[in-house]
Amino acid sequence: MTNHWIDIRNADCVLIIGSNAAENHPICMKYVLQAQAKGAKVIHVDPRYSRTSARADMFIRIRTGTDIAFMGGMIYWILEDMRKNPGNYNLQYVQQYTNAAYIINSGIKLPGDEGQNGLFSVWDSTNSKYDTATWKYADPANATGESKLLTDNWSGWTSRAADEETAWGELNNNCVLKLLWRNYRRYDKATVSKITGIPQEKLEAVYAEYAKTGATGQAGTIMYAMGATQHTYAVQNIRAYSIVQLLLGNMGVAGGGVNALRGTSNVQGSTDQALLEHILPGYLKMTTDVDAHQTLAGYISNITPAATNPPGDLAGDNPVNWWKNTPKYVHSLLKAWWPDVALADSYNYLPKKRATGVNYTHMGLIEAIGKGGPDGVEGLWIWGQNPAAGGPTSLGARDALKKLKWMVASDIWFNETHTFWKRPDVDPSTIDTEVFLLPAAGSFEKEGSVSNSGRWVQWRYKAVEPPGEAIPDLDMMIQLFKRIRKLYDDEVKAGKTSVIPEPILNLSWDYSDEEEADVIAREMNGHALTADVPKSGAPGTFYEVGELIDWFNDLQPDGKTSSGNWLHCGQYTKASAADQQDYAELITVVNGIPSINKAKKRNVVDSSPSQVGLYPNWSWCWPRNRRIIYNRAAVDLNGNPWDAEHPVLAWNGTAWVGDVVDGGGNPINLAAAGSQNLPFIMNSEGVGKLWGYSLKDGPIPEVYEPWESPISNLMTAQQNDPAAYIGKLLVDGTDWNERGTVGDFPIIATTYRCTEHWQTGIMTRNLPWLAELMPKMYVELGADLADKLGIVSGDTVKVRSKRGEIHALAIVTKRFQAITVDGKEMHQVGIPWHWGYAGRVKGDSGNILTPSVGDANTCIPESKSFLCKVEKA
Amino acid sequence: MAYGVLFDGTRCIGCRACSVACKSWNENSAKVEKKTSVEGGIQGKAVVSSDTFTFMRYREIGEGDDFKWAFAKIQCMHCLKPGCETACIVGALHRNKETGAVTYDQGKCIGCRYCMVACPFGIPTYQWEDRTPWIRKCTFCSDRLNEAENGMAPACVTACPTRALQFGERDELIEEAHKRIEESKAADPAGVGKYIDHVYGEKEVGGTAWMYISSVDMTELDLPWLSEEPVTKNARTAMSLLPYYATGMLALMVGIYFITKRRQKIAAGKHEEKKG
Repeated sequence: MTNHWIDIRNADCVLIIGSNAAENHPICMKYVLQAQAKGAKVIHVDPRYSRTSARADMFIRIRTGTDIAFMGGMIYWILEDMRKNPGNYNLQYVQQYTNAAYIINSGIKLPGDEGQNGLFSVWDSTNSKYDTATWKYADPANATGESKLLTDNWSGWTSRAADEETAWGELNNNCVLKLLWRNYRRYDKATVSKITGIPQEKLEAVYAEYAKTGATGQAGTIMYAMGATQHTYAVQNIRAYSIVQLLLGNMGVAGGGVNALRGTSNVQGSTDQALLEHILPGYLKMTTDVDAHQTLAGYISNITPAATNPPGDLAGDNPVNWWKNTPKYVHSLLKAWWPDVALADSYNYLPKKRATGVNYTHMGLIEAIGKGGPDGVEGLWIWGQNPAAGGPTSLGARDALKKLKWMVASDIWFNETHTFWKRPDVDPSTIDTEVFLLPAAGSFEKEGSVSNSGRWVQWRYKAVEPPGEAIPDLDMMIQLFKRIRKLYDDEVKAGKTSVIPEPILNLSWDYSDEEEADVIAREMNGHALTADVPKSGAPGTFYEVGELIDWFNDLQPDGKTSSGNWLHCGQYTKASAADQQDYAELITVVNGIPSINKAKKRNVVDSSPSQVGLYPNWSWCWPRNRRIIYNRAAVDLNGNPWDAEHPVLAWNGTAWVGDVVDGGGNPINLAAAGSQNLPFIMNSEGVGKLWGYSLKDGPIPEVYEPWESPISNLMTAQQNDPAAYIGKLLVDGTDWNERGTVGDFPIIATTYRCTEHWQTGIMTRNLPWLAELMPKMYVELGADLADKLGIVSGDTVKVRSKRGEIHALAIVTKRFQAITVDGKEMHQVGIPWHWGYAGRVKGDSGNILTPSVGDANTCIPESKSFLCKVEKA
Repeated sequence: MAYGVLFDGTRCIGCRACSVACKSWNENSAKVEKKTSVEGGIQGKAVVSSDTFTFMRYREIGEGDDFKWAFAKIQCMHCLKPGCETACIVGALHRNKETGAVTYDQGKCIGCRYCMVACPFGIPTYQWEDRTPWIRKCTFCSDRLNEAENGMAPACVTACPTRALQFGERDELIEEAHKRIEESKAADPAGVGKYIDHVYGEKEVGGTAWMYISSVDMTELDLPWLSEEPVTKNARTAMSLLPYYATGMLALMVGIYFITKRRQKIAAGKHEEKKG
């Protein structure tokens, strides 16, 4: 979340799209309803009327997988309305805080342009990827005249009488705003309606309602979850939300933001700590085998962006370009891991992922397991995961597991993955995989931090002892590594030279065998390694060696500081006098210095101006306890809040009050040239990107169809996202990832979760009270479809896709209804995936049906849109 | 003065945290039925039973743009003039005038089940499957209400994430309910607001401690249409005929007495175990 849960209450309009917040994030509905009680409209866009829709003021039924058409239509509606009713929008925000006025390379071609057939320029069909050169900004030096920006000619936009491009005044043809308009003018309501199945009058109503948040001082929030992300063009869905939020001035403000409702507890923490294949902790880019990454210096120069200084009238503004600090963060990370090794050497300890040819994400991993043998994956240590039910194409995934020589599972229950070898219809004697289960402590049986969607790092204490031999995962990990290190040590002592022992032997791992969460929190924060690290909070003074660093700006390059995760730098610091007084019980003495782990703070006083709900002393949040990121966009050029009623931040004449200001410095109009800090400090241009250039599948979102779709793309001839990942789940020559056609599988399917169960259901199907509430695998289908198929509620039905078949209880409901897509009546059904063959109540998993295809950028599987057939069993 | 709970259907998200909290506090077991209810577009438990004191009822109401998925939490209404209390010939059911909770004393119950017949909401249930059966129903968490002044509320209320359930003095809740209805009307240019202008339970059967406001008529959620006449009036008439039957029932009653005693002994043991 760019904002946080409580902040939802400040919204003037809540757009919930691709999320069933009421069922999957029930607590947040407290804040949604608080906003609604104060007059905010709640809009729910979803294929299915759910408990969220029941609380919404407006429910929009959409065909699954058509968010880009819907949002593209909204972008067009807004751009047109901006022209007709400029007074309804915060145009200064759009001009100053986004790249609307930037000029793009003159070679840019859009998917609707002649000869492009749905692709941006320039698609490299040999390598199946884009050459993105034409997506970049025109070089200001070489674009005389072009870089004279919109700021002069904004009137050319707003006074435009007609729709034609010729009536655009002096607007440059390649300025971002005009490119947006040119692409999305194809997304008129008639076309969007045909694609999405939403009637035009509803589109008009919802666009008009949400666009009201474009007014200065109004805020709209977009809440999304897996309904937006489990698509082959998932990131582009989110990009579409972001573009709308930037056009409406909704980023950085209270009650605004693009807010990802995370799918599981602490998944925010898991990405912050880089439990992903493409990053190191703190979102530093992963090291790969490309030439540039062969040395530390090369890697750093490769991943540290240069600032993009704004051209034309905006010159003098400072993009801040926070990632310029990358070297400090990388060096401090290496020092946290290998404190006694020279940086250039410890950098070489880092594994270098193959840049091309290998997919390291979930689907790629399962495919590699299916391959078996030395080219594949032979052993699997699985921590609290369940790919036999939680990932796509489950039958194939289960079959693939037999290729493993061994599996070690750390979990609190047996799940489908651990018991795959004795699953129904399988002869255990045909499976050679050796499976070990290490009983793990549950979340209330251990201590540590949990990071929520709003980036709050909240400390949890152990409530009860774990049962039997169960121990926390962290203890397992600590002990495991000690044993691995001993093996290496033994081999070295025995004179073996076939191993590279240094990364293992030199790693900082001086833990006791248990309960080290607090120590690790200190390592994540980092400390001074030398006596010459200046303290920015007390100019002229220096950190003591071993003293925890106050915040990440004080981290140093060249090995003077350590920090296991720069984003967490500031969480665990030397206690201030105020902290020592107010939080005496939280003070821990670290290296002789009274220190405080701020994740433990539990102060319920909201000290923010106008009580906008920042609660700065309840836990701690990254970055730097900043509760709303990009908060400089919440104020105008003089530092006055756009929304005086809900100020996140305000300049009081001498200082900022409110949230921790993003980027520091004075307001733009009160700062010297070169220090006029722009708000979007993590972007190299310092402004919000309406137009991007770093994704694999386009600079702006364009409509493509899901891999399995009932129709041909109505927008262009390009059916699917050209860069989407199409899996090949081969096990012993069988490809489990087969593609169905609308002829054989005429019904659109989507998957989801219910309140009563959690993920694959292992934590909830084993709890009698929850199992009782939702005992059986079910499929929800509309009464209109059920009538046609002769199905009544309570029947057992078969649902088939090209990849498998499941049995489920039919829930016939008015909440699903036929939609009209391109003039044809179509039906959608909903399938949860909480069941399996392990646990107290059993059933088929919805993931038996889902395809192994993934998003072009992240490779998240497309579980939310595929084709199926439903029959009475 | 007595307590009440106000259920606001426009705030409920149907999450059933209340159901789980109820089972947790009352240490009621779960039973996965062979056939689950599929009423109202959801599967689940849709009846009160001896180990389920409350459940969430879902109903799909209306068509097209007027379609609503409405929720109601069903449990004992804790009537101000409880039919069950009047019907109970041994005084096992009793309304506490301080708290408003209608509770059950298993020590007195003879298992006649008149209370089940007398309740207009069909709430008291019998432990049919138990060899030593008792009547079971929502207790208003009367064991928590003793601490109400210290901020305790019924377990279900505490668990509700959206404050769809509000606990307080009944009089104040009635005021609050009407205030919400009126404010919603005032905020609506059409003057209608999001509520049906009716506080269910304010007057039904002489008033109940648990009350509802919602965007749909509560009878659409299958709460019975009831007059303001307390059930107790009719129940009293019926009960007054009882002495004439009593003589004939004497032999049966003696039998019941022994069963009851034995049951209490077993249960006392069970209860101690639970506490331990």
